[in-house]
Amino acid sequence: MIKMTRATDGKRVLRLANGLQLGTGNLLAGLFLLLAALTLAAASTGLGLTHTGLSDLVRSLFGENLAGAEDFALWTVRLPRIILGFMVGWAVALSGAMLQSIAKNPLADPGLFGFSQGSMLMIMLLLVLMPAAPKSMVTLAALFGGLSVAALLLWLVGGERSSGLSIVLMGIAVETVLSSFGALLLLYLPTETSIALSEWLAGSLFQANWSIIAFFVPLFAASVVAAFLLGPAMAAYDLGTNMAMALGEPVRQSRPLVLLAAVVLNAAAVTAVGPLIFLGVLAPHIASFLSPAVARARLFLSGLMGGILVIAADALTRSTDGALPLPLGLALTLVGVPLFILTLRLQALRKLQSH
Amino acid sequence: MMERRGLFLSLSGLLLALVLPLHLFFGFSPASLPGLALSLVHFEVNSYEDAVLLFQRLPRSVIAVYAGSIAAASGFVLQSLVRNPLASPATLGVNSGAALFLVAAALLLDADAAVQGLAALAGAITGFLACLAVARFAGRRNDPRGLSLILSGALVSMLFTGMTNALLLSDPARRADFLSWVTGNINHVYIDRLAMFWWIGAAAVLVLLLLARPLTLILFGEDKAASAGVNVPLVSRAAITAAVLGTGSAVAVCGPIGFVGLVIPHIVRPFAGNNLVHALPASLLCGASACLLADLLAREAFQPFVINTGLVTDLVGGIVFIVIVKRFYLSAGSREAA
Repeated sequence: MIKMTRATDGKRVLRLANGLQLGTGNLLAGLFLLLAALTLAAASTGLGLTHTGLSDLVRSLFGENLAGAEDFALWTVRLPRIILGFMVGWAVALSGAMLQSIAKNPLADPGLFGFSQGSMLMIMLLLVLMPAAPKSMVTLAALFGGLSVAALLLWLVGGERSSGLSIVLMGIAVETVLSSFGALLLLYLPTETSIALSEWLAGSLFQANWSIIAFFVPLFAASVVAAFLLGPAMAAYDLGTNMAMALGEPVRQSRPLVLLAAVVLNAAAVTAVGPLIFLGVLAPHIASFLSPAVARARLFLSGLMGGILVIAADALTRSTDGALPLPLGLALTLVGVPLFILTLRLQALRKLQSH
Repeated sequence: MMERRGLFLSLSGLLLALVLPLHLFFGFSPASLPGLALSLVHFEVNSYEDAVLLFQRLPRSVIAVYAGSIAAASGFVLQSLVRNPLASPATLGVNSGAALFLVAAALLLDADAAVQGLAALAGAITGFLACLAVARFAGRRNDPRGLSLILSGALVSMLFTGMTNALLLSDPARRADFLSWVTGNINHVYIDRLAMFWWIGAAAVLVLLLLARPLTLILFGEDKAASAGVNVPLVSRAAITAAVLGTGSAVAVCGPIGFVGLVIPHIVRPFAGNNLVHALPASLLCGASACLLADLLAREAFQPFVINTGLVTDLVGGIVFIVIVKRFYLSAGSREAA
């Protein structure tokens, strides 16, 4: 039972039997993004030093054996990078979109709140004290770092004021202090450790493999559920705390929950590839340019866009054929910032025309 | 009020007069002090201590005075013109922009020190403009106090710092040379760079001092200033350009020494008031003292290690940042205003 009707604001929506609404514009944008992600991923399998690509991948899926080098390039290097990249981009973008609703500002970003720095500092400290720490410990350290920063922020700002810009400003302050500790570590550690940590800070999918993906998949699934459950609350937060409370949103309980979700998502991403600066701002912005959505649709579209951006950035790092060692974070900047500026210009033009 | 300002100005001068010798002579044995002072006056090297004083301590002091005074003056002007207590060269993307461009020029173009300096100036301007552009995207609708500027400044800084880090990684051999500079390092070897760029900072300070009166009028209201015969857009732009370029030259010398520009204006303002005619000289003096003290701390607190001055100022500055946010944005009257 799916009916095509119009919502109260006159936009076309699909109404499901259980009362769920889905804006057609959002649906189309979502399908478009999904398609774009798949196309990019398919194209990306053909990029790199070894000559292989989608056709080999399809043949190998149908049971044909590939030559060693091609099999290695596809199944051990490229596919894990693409899949992990998508999930990490999704996580960071989702985290950014959630924080933007809480802060009521389109510039909120897990890095701006200091979460990335907190996670990264803990990872650095762990790797300095225990260079051979297992991956699970690293994850826990990242989570602990992010959560401590979140708790510190809530304590510094005070529970009832934890909305609006004040929490972001406090985040910037905390981020400054943390990154000066980080810089201290980078500067005085032995050169090799320092370079390894810097590479992590610059973002890299180098470590991508199937075991990390297996670790990330449950989190990814949980984030889909969380986006579905928390989505409506986001729409209420966008209107401001008082309005949200008036609409019956249990702000006191749901805000820490949203923060927690944002921290966990970001900490996982930092563990897997390092802090991806600006992605939390870029992805939701470009997604909302495609289709100005709120609530669940906004979260899902942002996540998809984040995934696409990271796949594209990864493709860029591999397409240089190793001539230029391009860290993922820099590639992401090269891909995302021009798009960001372009959408800003187009938005301004759109506004001019509508007046 | 007049007397208090004069008193504060002379006290800041006195502070600098105390801190400078402290910075120069701290750690030498008391017995050698007269000889050292003499060698400073005659600029002669008769002993190992003299050499340390003249070729290590003195350059360090001069660089610290240069970086600190310019950062503080720029910070005061930016805070006044942007009308935001959190504005400063470090928070508006100026420092990180200059650092990125300098590193890019050095690593990608193999530029010599003079071109690196030019790149830093271009970077300072680019950083500031990028910060303005991103802030415009955030819109001014629900932004009564220009806070989006600070957010976009922080974002731009993180982005630029990330790119600097990535560039440094591409050349591990030269990374070691710049890693310390990138975190803000007052070091005697950079005196050559100061000799090359000092006039930019001096010109910037001169411009700011000359514009102090019209700038103060602008603070009282742009309409009032215009009716008093001030060319508001021209004066504002000239002042911001001078502040940004001056900071860029300081970054070109010793790397980004952050947050002196954020902190000092808040110390100066309660005593010297908003009138730039009094506040600017006081900022210059206090900024120099603060940077000297930070450098002294960085040099002596963790003996035998000498840590980077930029790290000390970032640490102290970050904590002051927290205090400012608490005081200006979380006090009773400002709930939900942000």
